[in-house]
Amino acid sequence: MIQLQHVSKVYENNIIALDDITLTFGEGELIVLKGVSGSGKSTILSLIAGLLKPTQGDIIVDKKHISKLPDHFCSQFRRDNIGFIFQKYNLIPLLSVEENILLPLVPLNLDEEKVDAKLKSVMEMFTIAHKKDIKVKNLSGGEQQRTAIARANVNNPKIILADEPTANLDEKLSIEFIEILRSLKSAKRTIIVATHDPLFFDLDFVDRIIEIHNGKLVCS
Amino acid sequence: MLLTPEVLTIEILDILFLFFASIAFYFSLKIVLQYDFNATTPLQYTLQKQSYLVATIIKFIFYTKVILFLFFIFTLDDISNILPGAMCGAGVVNATEYGIYLLIIKILNLYIFAYWLTLNAEDMRSEEQLYLKFKFKVYIGAYLLLLVEIALETLMFFSIDTKSVVDCCGAIFSTTDGTYMAHLLNINPVILLGLFYTLFIFLVMSYIFKKRYLFSLLNFLFVIVALISLIAFFGTYIYELPTHHCPFCLLQRDYHYIGYVLYLFLFIGTFYGIVLGLIDFTKEEEQRRYKISLLFTSLYLLIVSYYPLAYYIKNGVWL
Repeated sequence: MIQLQHVSKVYENNIIALDDITLTFGEGELIVLKGVSGSGKSTILSLIAGLLKPTQGDIIVDKKHISKLPDHFCSQFRRDNIGFIFQKYNLIPLLSVEENILLPLVPLNLDEEKVDAKLKSVMEMFTIAHKKDIKVKNLSGGEQQRTAIARANVNNPKIILADEPTANLDEKLSIEFIEILRSLKSAKRTIIVATHDPLFFDLDFVDRIIEIHNGKLVCS
Repeated sequence: MLLTPEVLTIEILDILFLFFASIAFYFSLKIVLQYDFNATTPLQYTLQKQSYLVATIIKFIFYTKVILFLFFIFTLDDISNILPGAMCGAGVVNATEYGIYLLIIKILNLYIFAYWLTLNAEDMRSEEQLYLKFKFKVYIGAYLLLLVEIALETLMFFSIDTKSVVDCCGAIFSTTDGTYMAHLLNINPVILLGLFYTLFIFLVMSYIFKKRYLFSLLNFLFVIVALISLIAFFGTYIYELPTHHCPFCLLQRDYHYIGYVLYLFLFIGTFYGIVLGLIDFTKEEEQRRYKISLLFTSLYLLIVSYYPLAYYIKNGVWL
């Protein structure tokens, strides 16, 4: 369970990204955070992932106070629990698909067999295995995104956070992504998608849509 | 006034330490007074960020200070070449009224700074940062001691008169006058050695029976007895001269810089031992620290014991 309790986030120059937000995300839920650019959706994701600290309030994930964790413990928490799909994928262009997916496994010091098994399973799941040796910079948008999703899932995280995942995709690829989400949802992952893409608003497997406007909760 | 390149280096570093340590002191006071782990207010999150930054600043100051202790000792030894009458660092320490107090506070600070660094490392190891407030309280005390150290250091270097003749270590560590030092050096070697080796046996026993508070206390006593026995007894075998009791000449090239090894081993061994009684470590960490402590005190004991034995084997007599 993820809880945001009276969370506010103020950036430099007094820019209020979130203003006293209280939210709860249940385990295995798929929730869409809806709102225009700059409404505070991405900030919520970054706070849950421990990438940012709130200015005020508390963030609790599975009874762990994420907002109070020292930075090195935040990294550890993120590595073990969170799969983050970024809007611009944040892949390393000069590394191959396989090397990019492998990155979150490096600090775990797993033996080669386990790494191979995890890689194989995740690349097959997101149908990118046939491109495993190709450098990421030479991939199409959809393939890059599948690589990013595979990387986010390689540690088998309980929580998947996706920030504007279809912003750089055409409709066909967006629908492909939605099907991936459906399979992740059926694997009982907690998924939070921040988007303003209308494709997400009528999906039958979305549990809740939460609207954010100017850092405030509009409706849930 | 004395301004050699080494002294200048120390003084410039002191100014930098003073600047950063004072900033850290201001924030430490704020953290001690206002930090509340359970609060979720903007102030608390600001303090949380500041605590990490301030701890990093203090960490760098103290690491540098611990390493600089060796440089300070080297500097004393180096300065002795330009002070008339001085044969080693002892003459420099004795050249002004501040020297001995500076040396005492430097040794004390060495242990306190190392203690703070250990406390900080343990604090960073736990999610709840169990020692956060405590380590900043300790820092406030350490900062005041640092100020005293910097003041004494500056006073000492600035009041050394290079034209005055100072005592050499032979006069300072003489056994014939009625000073405290003379009394110390005249302690019966059998009693002194008995105490030294018995303390070590107790140290080993407290390790075997895992009595950490006793182990800590015994280490504290061991460092005192070890230093006295080094000056009064073992040193004479290192110099192969019964009247030479100087703890500084050991640091010179003529004696293969053995003093640096001895003091380093004694400091590491006893520090790791003493700190066991002051911080609650995990079982594995406690085990590791017991072993490091005992390893270095044992090495110290073996090295100092080697000199009289080697002398006896070589010459067939004791000094």
